[in-house]
Amino acid sequence: MRVWRIIAVVALAGLETASVHAEESVADLPRNETLIVENPEGTIKNAGWFNIWAINAGGQSTGLHQLALDTFWFIDPERGLDGVWDNSLAADRPLYNSDFTRMTVKLRKGIYWSDGTEFSAADVVFTVQTHMKTNGLRWSAPIQINVDSISAPERYTVVFKLKKPNSRFHALFTVRWNAMWMMPKHVFENAGDPLKFAFDPPVTLGAYVLHGYDPNGKWFIWQLRSDWQRTSIARFGKPGPKYVVYMDAGPPDKRVIAQLNHQLDVVHDTSPEGMFTLVRQSKSSHGWFKGFPYAHPDPTLPAVIFNHELDLFKNRDVRWALALLIDIKAVSLASYRGAATISAIGVPPTGTHPEVYHVPLEGWLREFELDTGKRKIRPYDPTVGKQIADMLRASMGEQIPADQNQIAMAFGKGWWKPDPQAAQELFEKAGFAKRADKWVTPDGKPLSIRIMVEGESRPVMTRAGSMIAQQWRQFGIDASTVVAQGNMSDRRNAGDFDVFIGWSVETWGGHPDLSFFLDSWHSQFVALPGKPQPPRNWQRWSYPDLDRIIEQTRKIAFDDPKGLDLGREYVKLVVREMPTIPLMSYNVFTAMDETHWTGYPSAEQPFTNPVPNWANSRYMMVRLKPRK
Amino acid sequence: MRGYSGYLLGRLGQFVLVVFIGINIAFIVTHATPIDPVEQSIAAATQFGSTNPEAVALMRQSLRELYGLQGTLWDQYLVFWKRVTVGDFGPSLSAFPTPVRTLIGRALPWTVGLLLVSTVISWLLGNLLGGLAGYYRNSKTLWLAGIVAMAFHPIPYYIVAFVLLIVFGFVWPVLPISGGYTMNLQPAFELTFVASLLKHSILPVLSLVLVGLGGWFMGMRSLVSNIVTDDYVTYAELGGVDGRRILASYVMRNALVPQVTGLAMSLGAIFTGAIITEQVFGYPGLGTLLVSAVHAGDYSLVLGITSVSIVAVSVAVLAVDLLYPFLDPRVRTTG
Amino acid sequence: MMFTIFRDLFRSRRSFAAGVALLAFVLIIAAASLASPYPPNDSFVVPPDLAPSWPHILGTTSRGQDVFWQLTFAIRNTLVFGFIVALVSRIISLVVGLVSGYVGGLTDRVLMSINDTFIVIPLFPILVLFYFVMRDNMSWTLLALAMACLGWAYDARLIRSLAMSLRRREFTDTGIFSGMSTRHILTQEHMPYVLPIVFSTTMNNINWSIGLEVTLSVLGFTDINTPTIGVMIYWANQHTAMVAGIWWWIFFPVLLVVITFIGLFLLAVSMNEYIDPRSRLSRVAA
Repeated sequence: MRVWRIIAVVALAGLETASVHAEESVADLPRNETLIVENPEGTIKNAGWFNIWAINAGGQSTGLHQLALDTFWFIDPERGLDGVWDNSLAADRPLYNSDFTRMTVKLRKGIYWSDGTEFSAADVVFTVQTHMKTNGLRWSAPIQINVDSISAPERYTVVFKLKKPNSRFHALFTVRWNAMWMMPKHVFENAGDPLKFAFDPPVTLGAYVLHGYDPNGKWFIWQLRSDWQRTSIARFGKPGPKYVVYMDAGPPDKRVIAQLNHQLDVVHDTSPEGMFTLVRQSKSSHGWFKGFPYAHPDPTLPAVIFNHELDLFKNRDVRWALALLIDIKAVSLASYRGAATISAIGVPPTGTHPEVYHVPLEGWLREFELDTGKRKIRPYDPTVGKQIADMLRASMGEQIPADQNQIAMAFGKGWWKPDPQAAQELFEKAGFAKRADKWVTPDGKPLSIRIMVEGESRPVMTRAGSMIAQQWRQFGIDASTVVAQGNMSDRRNAGDFDVFIGWSVETWGGHPDLSFFLDSWHSQFVALPGKPQPPRNWQRWSYPDLDRIIEQTRKIAFDDPKGLDLGREYVKLVVREMPTIPLMSYNVFTAMDETHWTGYPSAEQPFTNPVPNWANSRYMMVRLKPRK
Repeated sequence: MRGYSGYLLGRLGQFVLVVFIGINIAFIVTHATPIDPVEQSIAAATQFGSTNPEAVALMRQSLRELYGLQGTLWDQYLVFWKRVTVGDFGPSLSAFPTPVRTLIGRALPWTVGLLLVSTVISWLLGNLLGGLAGYYRNSKTLWLAGIVAMAFHPIPYYIVAFVLLIVFGFVWPVLPISGGYTMNLQPAFELTFVASLLKHSILPVLSLVLVGLGGWFMGMRSLVSNIVTDDYVTYAELGGVDGRRILASYVMRNALVPQVTGLAMSLGAIFTGAIITEQVFGYPGLGTLLVSAVHAGDYSLVLGITSVSIVAVSVAVLAVDLLYPFLDPRVRTTG
Repeated sequence: MMFTIFRDLFRSRRSFAAGVALLAFVLIIAAASLASPYPPNDSFVVPPDLAPSWPHILGTTSRGQDVFWQLTFAIRNTLVFGFIVALVSRIISLVVGLVSGYVGGLTDRVLMSINDTFIVIPLFPILVLFYFVMRDNMSWTLLALAMACLGWAYDARLIRSLAMSLRRREFTDTGIFSGMSTRHILTQEHMPYVLPIVFSTTMNNINWSIGLEVTLSVLGFTDINTPTIGVMIYWANQHTAMVAGIWWWIFFPVLLVVITFIGLFLLAVSMNEYIDPRSRLSRVAA
């Protein structure tokens, strides 16, 4: 057939013209000067928009907030380059007056915007005042609620006068993922409505400037400023990469392929299996941990979150019974293939938390008793982490650490021992009964629980939810998962769920203060049924003892040692009450390729978080060195 | 041609009606979304950073004012039509204040380019092979081609695309697997850019053609095998008309009529059909925009894309209908 | 009568026999779901990631499920899904297409306006919004009905154009002049032309619905508690099975879909040729 011959010839000619090797994925930039990282935001709809102060108008982690912007302070989720706390634009820590109604900030001198203008108190005053008089900017609301006035008594000093005492006001300007960024006064004051100004190209305060971007929002390239020494990060040395590319790397499989082709130096996250494939097939790829479980534990705590608006979950015994039906080993295996760091208590097992919370409270947990109505049990099993390690060693061999401390760091310590007998007793105590293998509630209806998961957007959480549903089902509960792909946040905010797999606990990671999430758990913020719940008390749990802990925390300073005692009180309270069932930290499979760059942070060198959408990841740049 | 102009008028009236009803349905459906764009924006703004619960309430109120969502559904409906008449869809609610028109305008050329090319290629190839297979029913090669085309056809598109990606992007990495062109190139009509553009489009086009081929092949094959047995073909054969001529002028021409209609209607997929292609190959276009708009509850943007699609497909269908009497002389309108 | 047709078909067309055999194979696998030793939704009931070998002949998934037994449930649900969509949408498209094509005039105008509205409205946003509105009540049967209600217009137009062209042909006029009833003309003279289109559009429709189901699943808009081919691919995808080397998790479901379609294709082709009387005659003569 002639047709086939023509087709074959054309196809071959096409393939001939394609070079045998995949071309460089970035044109005209030397690879040994270019770092390519994934931006998990994906494709940016509105690529030419760099005004981050307008809510949700453009991209954030396109390199914009990591490399181009700056603010007073950073708290590292790990150990930091020079301690956890870093004074970035500020010269010192925040200075409050005795009743926390005034905060004074001393600014660093010699910091310049990328267009050569010096950064000064005038920029800070402008930023804050713009937010005070404009509604609908990203930080308008917190500024308007807190700030009475701002003044600059000197060129490098600003004073915030607050409307009411707030001992954590500085948190607004302290980066944990992000914070309120400073605006260049000389650009914005002539730009008209700050809500409608695109800020393209951005005048930056960070060490990089915009080199170019794809109008379709697939990639953004940043270039090191020639005057990088006049930026706050210069204290730690010269950033290694001259160019940093933030790209939309596609679905998890493709990120793995891209890194195996050495075209993507840092993968933000992939599936556990994708990570295993990477380390198996590429000698140069590694994760946060050198070996298993590879992933970086974010200071975020996935949990089974009950909807306390439902009568079903108002009873503590029911919540505890459901916790005792979970076999965390199976959940860890199903969700993370064992590469999870478990936590029985309400703080993530990451950063400095294990040494200030998990380890000191271990003894209390072992002694903790639960009354099932028939007897008292000690539900805590301190060996679960070790059991997971032992289970995995059978197939993974030497990759699994044997040292107790390493196991605890990588896999977590203990969790609740599965105890169907105790769960049955607790259910019976709460008035539930088992009829023909199925549990019924005190008012005679079948006990039915829908576990909301986020589906494709959070595969690992979806997998955990499916396993928990299976475990509850096996006990005789009508449990199944529902996927709230795309409408998770609406349903979560509106309280339109039975339970969901997600998190209402996020912490600084490097700092023991829990107010970052805990303050919002105060009963004063619990929304009325049907009204949207503000972050982060998605479970809408209120409890007098908790309110007391929160109120006492508000009265003490951020670094006050009493804060830690209050934090531990919170931990004990949520163990007793079990308002959510904490599972594990949110482990991110950030994969780093050493082919072109070396010096990434890791569990051995925990100087910062390698997860590239965190603004904190800018500290990684100063340690990176080209291979060639 | 009085009959034809009457037909023309009637058909034009129907066109206007279809577009009007279609856009109205789209308005109702998109505004029925339970996803609140304000909550989505708040979630995007607060998901990682520190958040004061009181501030969230204030933020919600300001955004509602800013996005202009206070009016009743009827008010919004009137505003919508007022804007549409001047070709405007208002600001996007998930990239406020950028106009929907700008976002669509940026993505549209990519989608139209990719899908027009691949739809036309698979239509031509599918009809050619299908026609041959229907006419030469005893040819083993064509029979096999039919089986192969049919075997590809039901493979879920996602799988075809992904297998191509793995084969040509990883196992034998000769083709780029991401984006519309090499990063850091500036779009311009130059050799490097065009070459990069073509190279990046090979896999997306190939995947769409492989999957699209079978449908046209099948349709054409069954149409032709029916026509072949028609009397006039038999007469032509008996009359000693050359086989190729019979195929080209007697058989294919008649069989093509419904296939042209099919082509016009399948153009609808051009505007929303490339979602998976765009996802797998990271290709720019409307699909990604649409998915993210649906997720964000950005009904302005969803409605904008939907309306563009409705108008474009209606025009294509109208064009085919108007050409119909010329294509198939047997159809004459009675007014 | 039925029996005779079948016997004739088997004798005259090898492709018919092959088609029946392939479909029977698929149906047997679907029926095997009744004998599955594992509940379809339970995971980690067998060791994960095993390559095909005895006793897990098609291997096991990364979720610790046996691919073969999962596949029995998946193909059963997918077939039922495809047939529901095809059946319901066929009924609508046949009625609309034939009525519109034969009756013409104002009826044609009205029906085609409705029809065209359905053609020009993009499906994807509607299906996703349907999913958002249904939320927990979203099941694959509902999805099937929704897709059937959206997926008929294209074929109705095809059938209409055929009907229009048939109405104009000589033999229709001949039939009318010679006093044949409309019913007789439709069933005896026109059905042989309409049926092949019905068969091929049915197949295309099943194909389309399964494809769309997989698309929605890949994008995550699906009820993950009912195993279908799409849901199997969804889970495989969540475990990046393609790059992790667990090819059997995707290969076998896809293979089974392909077998189903080749079976349907062979069946449709041989039926078409059987139905068309002149084609049969020419074959006998040849």
